[in-house]
Amino acid sequence: MRLGYYARLFAVQARASLTTAMQYRADFLVQGLTSLYWLGWNLVPLLVLYDDRATVAGWSFGAALVVMAHFVIVRGILEGAINPSLGAVVEQIRSGAFDYTLLRPADAQFLVSTARFAPWRALDVLGGVGLLIYAFVRLGHAPSPAQLGAGLVLLGAGLAVMYGLWIMIVATAFWVVRMDNLIYLLSSVFDAARWPASVFRGVWKVVFTFVIPLALMTTFPARALLGTVTWQAGIGCLVGALLVSIVARLVWRLALRSYTSASS
Amino acid sequence: MTIEVAGLSKHFRVHRRPPGLAAAVRSLWRRRYDTVKAVDDVSFTIARGERVGFLGPNGAGKTTTMKVLSGLLHPTAGAVRVEGHQPFRREPDFLRRITLVMGQKQQLLWDLPPSETYALNRAVFGVDPAQARQTIAELTELLGLAGLTDKPTRQLSLGERMKCELAAALLHRPTTLFLDEPTIGLDVAMQVTIRDFIRDYNQRHDATVLLTSHYMDDVVALCPRVIVIDGGRLIHDGDLRALVKTMLPDKLVSFTGGVPAEEVARLGEVVKAEGGRTTVRVPEARLREVVSHVLDRAGADLAVEDPPLEDVMRKLFKDKRAAAPAAPPAEPPP
Repeated sequence: MRLGYYARLFAVQARASLTTAMQYRADFLVQGLTSLYWLGWNLVPLLVLYDDRATVAGWSFGAALVVMAHFVIVRGILEGAINPSLGAVVEQIRSGAFDYTLLRPADAQFLVSTARFAPWRALDVLGGVGLLIYAFVRLGHAPSPAQLGAGLVLLGAGLAVMYGLWIMIVATAFWVVRMDNLIYLLSSVFDAARWPASVFRGVWKVVFTFVIPLALMTTFPARALLGTVTWQAGIGCLVGALLVSIVARLVWRLALRSYTSASS
Repeated sequence: MTIEVAGLSKHFRVHRRPPGLAAAVRSLWRRRYDTVKAVDDVSFTIARGERVGFLGPNGAGKTTTMKVLSGLLHPTAGAVRVEGHQPFRREPDFLRRITLVMGQKQQLLWDLPPSETYALNRAVFGVDPAQARQTIAELTELLGLAGLTDKPTRQLSLGERMKCELAAALLHRPTTLFLDEPTIGLDVAMQVTIRDFIRDYNQRHDATVLLTSHYMDDVVALCPRVIVIDGGRLIHDGDLRALVKTMLPDKLVSFTGGVPAEEVARLGEVVKAEGGRTTVRVPEARLREVVSHVLDRAGADLAVEDPPLEDVMRKLFKDKRAAAPAAPPAEPPP
């Protein structure tokens, strides 16, 4: 019953986003072209890096391309499904329009997380999938069904981690109101997820594993597809994703309690 | 009782800093906080189906009280029950029974026609499709929405948008309405439309209405009872006519021509004299005498009115502040 209710709600919100996107046809076209442009541009550093070496930190070009493909997919989902809604809620908190979200008899986190989508970002995701196929063609072998399954599960875990981090950032907007720069910072940091995690050494390795677990978002799902991840590491990823999700939910609820709403 | 408020207080901790760049820089790491009592020990009850005007100067605590009543803010102290619920718990059953309309904020999706917001609210509030169609048909007729709900919201005029906002807020047929400045910025004709609509909705659905407005005409036309707060404290709760009578017992008698100037001065204090029309203030005890005198001289063109509610309010706030030096006016933090 509740599941059906939220499924209907999701459908209505997704339809509204799609309708909005369709209203601005020129914008729709420009965004599509931008997506393609960035897909090509993403490959440049990789091509430069592998121009005169066969491996970097033990990663061949094909394997690094698998990580890059995951980065493109995850970023497409981030920019298409997570950033638009959560960026909008920060704006709503500042203007006080968030009051209307709280007046609705549905979970507020669900409402804000599904409020806005950028449908053209599906092109990024498709491009990422294309890149993934190309990478495996270059590597000369395809992942087994088990590896494919593990890769999908870990990709889901990676997305959960990213969504949790973004929710926590948005929750801080309840306390400090202006949050745009922190979102910008996290987006910039996320850019490092295009590289396999093991290329980072020292303090960055610690930061990207435990503070902002970029490795969970792209490297581990990629390694699952490549068949180089141990099942212990896989379980670790799932536990990590679960922990981040729980903490994010708690932080969100705490933040909601302290919401004082802007004066009218 | 639909609304029960006992000893409600809402305090905000606000960050204060003196003006100037140097102070702004200092405030980056050291901040001074003051406690502002936006609402301070306020109690009242409102019965099902009542229409109550909620009055007070800017920053008196009206909006804060409305937000506590609709569950957006936790009360600092006191007990609040609305429709049998504690609002701050925001239980779905509670949220389905109330609505809050804020004239200065909008819930309509900006880039889409209002009908999309209606579809969203229908899904969120779980309104049965047949009932939703019926409600929309009713609202379309009462508010004159025909042709508006399929245009993108950004292309609607302020008045059209407000009508659509009202419809979005009432789609789930709430029985308690919190209306915060629903007519702000609207022209007189549109104000009258909204006013008539609110009265009609109240009567059709036996809905309880708590209304704030800067237009006293809204309050006079809609609300037999008024609750007045100032500086977060309740200073009057009761019948609107009785309030007017105690504060300014005089009536305003206006008429056109016919009465010689030297007689006018004897009738009462002249409040206004322009375009051949004269208005005099007359104590109620002398009203009968003055009216019959004017009728003898000026004929039928005569009107007797209560003094404007604005004047009543001004006197009320002045008297209360003189009687007890109230706390400085409080405003919720930005």
